[in-house]
Amino acid sequence: MRRTTWTALVAILVMAIVGTSLVGCTDTGDTTETRESAQQEEPKAPYVIGAVLSLTGAQASLGVPEKNVIEMEVDRINEAGGINGHPLEVIIEDDASNVDQAVAATTKLIEQDDVLAIIGSTGTGQTMAMRTQIDAADIPQVSLAGSLVITGEFDPLVFQTPWSNALVVASTLQHLQSEGFTRIGLITEDTGFGKDGKALVNESAAGYGMTVVSDQVFKPTDTDMTGQLTVIKGAGADVVLMWSSVAASSIVPKNMAQLGMEAPLVGSHGIARLEFVESAGEAAEGTTIFAGKILAPEAYGVGSEGHTVATDYIARYTETYGEAPDSTFAGHAYDGLYLVVEAMKRLDEGFTSADLRDEIEKTDGFQGIGGVFTFSETDHNGMTEDDLVGYRVAGGTWTLLK
Amino acid sequence: MENAELLQLAIAGLKNGSIYALLALGFTIVYAATNVINFAQGEFFMLGGMFAVFAFKTLGLPLIAAVPLAVVAVTGVGVLFEVLAIRPRRDGDQMSLVIITVGGSLVLSSLARHLFGSDALPLPEFTPGPSLAFAGAAIERQTLWIWGLVLIAVVALTMLYSRTRLGRAMRACMQNREAARLMGIDTGRVVMISFALAAMLGALAGVAVTPLTSTRFDIGAGIAVKGFAAAILGGLGNPIAAVAGGLLLGLIEQAVIPFSSTLKDVVAIVVLLSVLFVRPQGLFIRERKEKT
Repeated sequence: MRRTTWTALVAILVMAIVGTSLVGCTDTGDTTETRESAQQEEPKAPYVIGAVLSLTGAQASLGVPEKNVIEMEVDRINEAGGINGHPLEVIIEDDASNVDQAVAATTKLIEQDDVLAIIGSTGTGQTMAMRTQIDAADIPQVSLAGSLVITGEFDPLVFQTPWSNALVVASTLQHLQSEGFTRIGLITEDTGFGKDGKALVNESAAGYGMTVVSDQVFKPTDTDMTGQLTVIKGAGADVVLMWSSVAASSIVPKNMAQLGMEAPLVGSHGIARLEFVESAGEAAEGTTIFAGKILAPEAYGVGSEGHTVATDYIARYTETYGEAPDSTFAGHAYDGLYLVVEAMKRLDEGFTSADLRDEIEKTDGFQGIGGVFTFSETDHNGMTEDDLVGYRVAGGTWTLLK
Repeated sequence: MENAELLQLAIAGLKNGSIYALLALGFTIVYAATNVINFAQGEFFMLGGMFAVFAFKTLGLPLIAAVPLAVVAVTGVGVLFEVLAIRPRRDGDQMSLVIITVGGSLVLSSLARHLFGSDALPLPEFTPGPSLAFAGAAIERQTLWIWGLVLIAVVALTMLYSRTRLGRAMRACMQNREAARLMGIDTGRVVMISFALAAMLGALAGVAVTPLTSTRFDIGAGIAVKGFAAAILGGLGNPIAAVAGGLLLGLIEQAVIPFSSTLKDVVAIVVLLSVLFVRPQGLFIRERKEKT
């Protein structure tokens, strides 16, 4: 008798916790509410799109701000009357930074929710894994991940909002060349994004007069990289180049400081967030990256359209969530959402997913957070090296590199 | 490869190995008392770091108070875990107990996500300062803390096992639980204390390593696999073997890096599997007659 009571108690506890965590993850509750309230004022059927984001797991610190921005902008769009009178509904699914869950979420969005387009995923591995379903359903996908493969292995249905590794690797290597570095110690994470950067750096380093003297890999779950860095140090690297986006990236500068390494650390746009600086603390000082202008909006040029869009977005985000967006990643979600929304606005009633894809491809000069997007039949990333600027950690934050 | 580099790799291996050793000790203590692998062991590690960050940052306590407080709190969580989740099913079969620990680990990590968020959270070093130079290699101050804590934990455990009544009761349970119960040992209490000790060791490892790595709600599972591998490598059920297994696993991982850091984890698993084929009881345990 007593044992049964205990078991029941534990079962209830577990159910309560799992229950709340599920609500926290998918947040379908919120979106349905927005839809209902919008429907009362507006008889037209909502436009439904899906978003697959990494709200938990290794990329959670990227995915959560992305979700925040999508929710904030959907509310704003609906308050302003929706898209040509149709309310907008975005159904957000969590992929737990996991390839299998991304596939499951995509299937759900396509089969159950019959979405017009899918935004996401946050990560490269998940984005690539979703492709089979995207192709089968013939709907457009706007990925928020930064690898070259996403638009490099071209699929007419797939678009990409972050600067692809091809752009960022080129800018970064140019910078290293101009600073006179010749021996790169490369350290990359064992994920789709890391492998993409690793391959690109190895291919293109020679073109900038540099050699990769050591090529090391770490897992997102690793807690110590002193081994890899010891080998890099032993190989006589004059600069450490890290291609990583996961939280474990902040261990690299700490380990470098512990080993007393003098070579400076240069990173990728994958660490363009304050979490990296806060987590690595003092050791992060001097780390250089190339990323978009949103971390220092004055880089757009004060008074320019980009500057207006960016400062307005930062102000509204700060008002809604009580803190400024602390990374570039939320901006990628903003761009992904508006690339789809703007295309929808240009289309006539009763458009199909195929029409939507064609219209997104016609995007010409859209001023987003990441830069100015102009897609073509062969370019679904749509930005140039002009959209990138250099940053260096100084005084505990990202500052523009002069 | 120069000597200084080899030494540096060995230091890194012993540092990671010590962390694996503390987790392996947790696995082994619970296994000894219950014959169950506790898959929530990694969550004690995660909670140790989380509670320390919470006490230090949110409550504003000095580090010297925050760290022991975190360890004590996690020990409490371990006891609670045993009382709420394990005890009601204590006489059930081992499989259902193992599943309960898997469920418990999920519950603890989602709770941590809700309470502390999904960002990586840093903690300052216990004694900040530049690394110490030793024969051309660098040793972080925090590594010395980790080594010191492992040493204290092993000595204290050995004393507990060899010198105290409780230790004798625990060893009796390890050899044969039924016989121990028939001899008048309160096996229920031994199980509870085993969970408390395992949680304490996990938390100790967690707080010691957080200054180097930061902590996040989902790091438990990854480190638990390492600790489990170390426990199997050394031999389940024996504290000294668990520590030896942990240190060996750490050293093997570092030894692979100069050849290929991609294969680091693969080689560690291959070594583990080979050991299981050749010496299923673990490297450092003499073959024991099966209980009948």
